[in-house]
Amino acid sequence: MITFEGAAKHYPDGTVAVAGLDLTVESGRTTVFVGPSGSGKTTSLRMVNRMVEPTSGKVLVDGQDVRSQNPAQLRRSIGYVIQQAGLFPHRTVRDNIATVPLLLGWGRGRARARAAELMDLVGLEPSQAKRYPHQLSGGQQQRVGVARALAADPPVLLMDEPFSAVDPVVRTGLQDELLRLQAELHKTVVLVTHDIDEAIRIGDRIAVFRPGGELAQYDTPERLLTHPVDDFVESFIGYDRGVRRLAFFPANGLSLREDVVLDDQDTVERALNTVDTAGEPWALVVDQLRRPLGWVAADRLRREPSGVELGRLDLTAYGHTFDVERDSLRAALDAAVLSPAGRAVGVDADGRVLGVVSQADLGGAIWSVSG
Amino acid sequence: MNAVWDWASGVVDWAVANWSHPGDDERGVWPRLVEHARLAYVSILIGLALALPLGLACVRWTRLYPPVLTGVNVLYAVPSIALFFLMLPYTGFSDWTAIVPLALYTLVILLPNVVDGLRQVPEHVRQAAVAMGFGPLRRLITVETPVALPVIIAGLRVASVATISMVSVASLVGLGGLGQLILSEGFRRQFDAPIVVGIVLTVLLAFATDALLVLAQRLLTPWARSGGRRGRRHRAAVPAGEATDADAGTDPTQTADSGNGARPWTS
Repeated sequence: MITFEGAAKHYPDGTVAVAGLDLTVESGRTTVFVGPSGSGKTTSLRMVNRMVEPTSGKVLVDGQDVRSQNPAQLRRSIGYVIQQAGLFPHRTVRDNIATVPLLLGWGRGRARARAAELMDLVGLEPSQAKRYPHQLSGGQQQRVGVARALAADPPVLLMDEPFSAVDPVVRTGLQDELLRLQAELHKTVVLVTHDIDEAIRIGDRIAVFRPGGELAQYDTPERLLTHPVDDFVESFIGYDRGVRRLAFFPANGLSLREDVVLDDQDTVERALNTVDTAGEPWALVVDQLRRPLGWVAADRLRREPSGVELGRLDLTAYGHTFDVERDSLRAALDAAVLSPAGRAVGVDADGRVLGVVSQADLGGAIWSVSG
Repeated sequence: MNAVWDWASGVVDWAVANWSHPGDDERGVWPRLVEHARLAYVSILIGLALALPLGLACVRWTRLYPPVLTGVNVLYAVPSIALFFLMLPYTGFSDWTAIVPLALYTLVILLPNVVDGLRQVPEHVRQAAVAMGFGPLRRLITVETPVALPVIIAGLRVASVATISMVSVASLVGLGGLGQLILSEGFRRQFDAPIVVGIVLTVLLAFATDALLVLAQRLLTPWARSGGRRGRRHRAAVPAGEATDADAGTDPTQTADSGNGARPWTS
């Protein structure tokens, strides 16, 4: 547990980096400090390992004031991942990872064995052990940075904008990796970012900082999206917070219509019967493996000869599908909004259609969960 | 062509005949060469030994650097002959008369390289070292100095060649290694063989020393070298002085998953 007790940082020129922070970071969880630049989030993070000393107040790790320990020794017990990885260019990947164990006086053999373990943990190939950092891509460098921070198995891991220097695709991969690692390791992670999406994706708890170094709100991601405390937090989160919040609700609660899903070997006549009975303006045509082929409108069916098989018609593209078991309401809504039929196609893990849901039905479901 | 050939073989003959005089260690080409190398190397080593701590101090206390740099630059503007003569009352005709000024010149050339090299250590690397729990001294010795090494060695190469050529000037005060061949045996006697031998051996000594330093750099900084052959260079970590030989190699297998490692540090 990390406790900030009125921790403040005022610079001699009058700048206030952090204006008295009171906050408790829970053990074993991921806490994200998020805010625009100049909001004191990085300064606050660095108070934990004494890279910044508060001018008043204090920071406690497990009840102990960090200032009661020698800074270098304190830092060896706290993992730190820096923006751009900050790898030592003159040391191999393996020796970079072994940095803290070597500082702690482990033997070289033991430190290298540990480095090999960590390379495996963060998804690096053993063949990369003897490479130098500049021979790796940005994403790989950042993995080495995470491995180095975890090398001495510290209970606390500080991450300062760890993924901001890599491109969006790599960033998403690294975020997934962090979530996977955290599910396994249960470290007390404090991560700083200016990216609210990253915060919501990764954080168990989110601290939103405002310019001037004040804590604006400290809450779970869901509470933050439903109950932003003020205009600043609301605008920082973005005005699509309602839609984003749907990411927290699973799509498996939706009631899907199965009756308007038709086989490509069915005839137009049969299809017309179906849509008229159901009172639906669209039907979805699937192949023999129940994979979606496309939409057909009821009006269109009326103009076609009644004996034609649906598979022979030009169908309207279905856009993208959502996975009923794994995706959220947000994905389902997105699929419905992008579909020309105004309906989303729900599939199982193998891509087989389970049913469809209209925007109107989605609206009802959304209203019931967010009410 | 024959005239040139005869002249050249005359020079070689002179060098062979005068290479050394058994029983008299003071005369001959070989003792001059040894003296030249001794004066140059001792000066370079002392200059390096002074430049390193002074450079470290200038990086640590940034306000120190401008006056120190101005001071050593003024020193560099003093003609070497003048310095050698100025030393005479204090050191007489000992080696120190040559070594003290030459070491100072080495210092002048090396100091900016040491300072620039250390300043070029990327901020995120320095910060990472602090955050990992390196104490200030250990960080300086095991992280910052090694990372600065390519720039420091580049400076050392310039300084050593300059010093080796300048040793000859010390012959005016009776020292100066190969310079003595040029001045006393050649110039004063209007005889060109010793002058040519002196020049050629000075150049060869400079080349050999430079080659040794290149070798030392390859051994000491394998991480800076391997970038040219098989990897993308991490720009932030590459000293400017070394960028020339290394940017050509790009490994196509490493382009996937490529982030930009060279964004400026922002907090």
